[in-house]
Amino acid sequence: MKPKVAFFDFTGCEGCQLDALNLSPEDFFDLVGVIDFVNFREVMTEKSDDYDIAFIEGSITRESEIPRIQKIRQQAKVLVAMGACACDGGVNCLKNHIPMDEALRIVYGKDAKYYDTMPARPVRAVVPVDYYVRGCPPVTAEFLKVVKALLVGKKPEIPNYPVCVECKMADNICAFERSTTCLGPVTRAGCGAICVTSGRHCFGCRGLVDDPNIDSEKEILQKYGLTVEQVLEKFKIYNTCSEVAK
Amino acid sequence: MAKNVETTAKPAPDVAEAKKLFTITRAGFKSMVDGLAKEMDIVGVKEKQGKFVYGKISSFDELRLDYDVTTMPPTRFLMPARETLLKFSTGNDPRFEPVVDTRPMAIIGVHPYDISAIAMLDKVFTSVNPDPNYIARRKNTILIAVDTLSPSSKSFANAMGTRIVEKGFDLLLTDIGTSYVVTIGSKKGADLLAKYAAPKEAAGNDIAMQKEVRDEALSKYTISLDIPKESLLKLLEENYDNPYWESRSKTCLSCGSCVMVCPTCFCFDVQDDVALNLKEGERFRRWDGCILADFARVATGENFRHDKASRFRHRIFRKGKYIFEKYGMAGCVGCGRCANACLAEIASPLEAFNAIAESARAKEAAARIMKEVRAQAELYVPQPAKLVKITTLGAKEKAFEFKLKSGKPLRHRPGQFVEISVPGIGEAPISVSSSPTRGDTFQLAIRNVGNITNAIHDLKEGAAVGIRGPFGNGFPLEAIAGKDLLFLCAGIGLFPLRSLIQYVLDKRDAYSRVIILSAARTPADMMFTNEQAEWSKRSDVEFLNTVDKADANWKGNVGVITTLIPKVKIDPRKTVAVVVGPPIMYRFAIVELKKRDIPDENIVMSLERRMKCGVGKCGHCQINGVYVCQEGPVFNLAQLRSLREAV
Repeated sequence: MKPKVAFFDFTGCEGCQLDALNLSPEDFFDLVGVIDFVNFREVMTEKSDDYDIAFIEGSITRESEIPRIQKIRQQAKVLVAMGACACDGGVNCLKNHIPMDEALRIVYGKDAKYYDTMPARPVRAVVPVDYYVRGCPPVTAEFLKVVKALLVGKKPEIPNYPVCVECKMADNICAFERSTTCLGPVTRAGCGAICVTSGRHCFGCRGLVDDPNIDSEKEILQKYGLTVEQVLEKFKIYNTCSEVAK
Repeated sequence: MAKNVETTAKPAPDVAEAKKLFTITRAGFKSMVDGLAKEMDIVGVKEKQGKFVYGKISSFDELRLDYDVTTMPPTRFLMPARETLLKFSTGNDPRFEPVVDTRPMAIIGVHPYDISAIAMLDKVFTSVNPDPNYIARRKNTILIAVDTLSPSSKSFANAMGTRIVEKGFDLLLTDIGTSYVVTIGSKKGADLLAKYAAPKEAAGNDIAMQKEVRDEALSKYTISLDIPKESLLKLLEENYDNPYWESRSKTCLSCGSCVMVCPTCFCFDVQDDVALNLKEGERFRRWDGCILADFARVATGENFRHDKASRFRHRIFRKGKYIFEKYGMAGCVGCGRCANACLAEIASPLEAFNAIAESARAKEAAARIMKEVRAQAELYVPQPAKLVKITTLGAKEKAFEFKLKSGKPLRHRPGQFVEISVPGIGEAPISVSSSPTRGDTFQLAIRNVGNITNAIHDLKEGAAVGIRGPFGNGFPLEAIAGKDLLFLCAGIGLFPLRSLIQYVLDKRDAYSRVIILSAARTPADMMFTNEQAEWSKRSDVEFLNTVDKADANWKGNVGVITTLIPKVKIDPRKTVAVVVGPPIMYRFAIVELKKRDIPDENIVMSLERRMKCGVGKCGHCQINGVYVCQEGPVFNLAQLRSLREAV
């Protein structure tokens, strides 16, 4: 019996769903050979409420989303948060820095009264999450890694070390040595340091490692010329809900 | 393809005569590299974004052999970041197929310290439980080394004995400008040389030139070990519990950069990657390292090196001790890559070795002093000292320079004091105001305020006095290492503090910022004005001074010392404030420093008390239960908070 897999989107751009299936034809057919998709808005019209594994995309930002995610949690044997919004709140949490009615007014203008909103939060703030596929967007290979781990019945080996490790493996010149600054030293690896490898720096989209040395990272960012405000802005982009952007 | 390497087109120079040196021209070297490139993969040093890296090259012209150091070591081609160990099939009849990479490869431009690192890895991977994956790659790799002619500023290969290598390579080239002097390290190397590079036996002046460029390179190393490499084992063994590990690792990011860039690090993790069809897969290893948080975590959740300090210490112990004990070669070759890569600037094993050595010396010196004091049959008998120089400092202040008649240095720590005797007048406790780093004499700066100081002020150069000590704890040298130091000296508080300031400036690299705030009642009361002027001119010292009352010529700050504190930028997490001045000043200084969030432990003061014996007997100096002459005179605020009578 192939496990039934469902994708659900909450508040987010749905890019994670696209990324999950950004596969070679061979991989795609291998994948549907081992699992059954029963609910996946981006790629199919049928829907079923009978599933084993739920992938959740997006953060929780409206009251009405709470009962919905609770119901999914009840049904799913395994619940996986997918992408920065679901895992850590993501960029949606940027609105948490201003009052909610102001956020509504900025986005919806005079129609603001028709909408409700609340401070954005990661899925784990509402229901227990079993596994995470992090990143904005997530790495397809890591999505597959988690799927395969679930299929063979093991805990996926997701790094708890910072991006620096993979950056060195990729033989990159450190972003700090290229006169820019980087959140790599405190951000969870698993992306293969893709941004630094492409000539940018780490924005922290995969969230923090379990025990990040935030004080030291802030000190280093300041040593490399950032003001306290700039340091906090850097952390805010993806890590507002992680208490470090304060 | 590998067999091409084994064939010899021309008769090879005799390896038995490998001691013999050859020279080749640049064109000869080029034809060797370009020829090899047709036979196998060539890895060489090239430039990338202003730094140097090892990477695949296709022609000689891409090489940059004038490099200082590469960001990553060449060992990544012998032990890749990720490599497949075996392929497997799943199910009821699982199969395991080993995967070994035997493609031939040449690595060009390897510096001697990396040759040493590879020799160490050879030992690790071949001595016990030979590692087939490493051995296969190593056997099919040609190493063409070049001498380091412009060492990296963080390199200490000179101290680790890896600056020059005699073996471990196939060929070693020394760039002498017009041509290369070549040392042959293997038959493979000799064959290669003969086949492509048209070697000539090196002439006498070429060999002289090789020595000259090597000597010139040696002069470019700016840092070194303060102790013989051989004493590292014992030093580390005795300093497992040194507070350094805890204090220095506070800013460690556990980011892994130090171990990833290390040419001698070889630890790895092994994982299975199953294919999507779930029927087959591969088992691979990838780099791992002991500085990473989860390196020693087991499935039950327990982590056997759970804190940064224990991981930091473990890494340094591997570099200086464990590897050596197991394999007979130091685990650090002194390339300096970790020091370059560490954003927190704490990774250099050299720094750790030297800091531990320094604290061990300080401890030893303290023990020796205690022993010597104890060994003194007569506790109260001074040793004779000669007054060698008098310098007038102010209306009532002079600096007296003494030399012990035994010829031995005083061996004091900054902040300690001596009991000075003028027979017939008496004995007085005086802080040493010079640093132990400044030679065999020591200076006592003394204000003429009482009987004994008056008698000392009357002495002439050449006169004899008695000296007991040094006594007291002195300033906490271990606790201030690596910190931002904020010195507050008011009035003749400068006298004891000067010994520490001189000490810190003599070991300037061991500290972060140095900020000196100096105050006196009037410009005429400023002491050691020339020396203070020198401090103010240094670019690595932030200096501010003030007077309570200005005179006509004074153009600087006016106000008490505490008015200077708001003028300086302070990072409370890494600053230690050292405060010495009149008793009244301490309370105000503490208030100002606490406004800047400096923790109590990092506010250090030297207290004045009446001291007669200096050896914890007479009782004059006691504050509550504490003898200032023994447990003091230096205390931090946390200690003083429990001493109600202190300030």
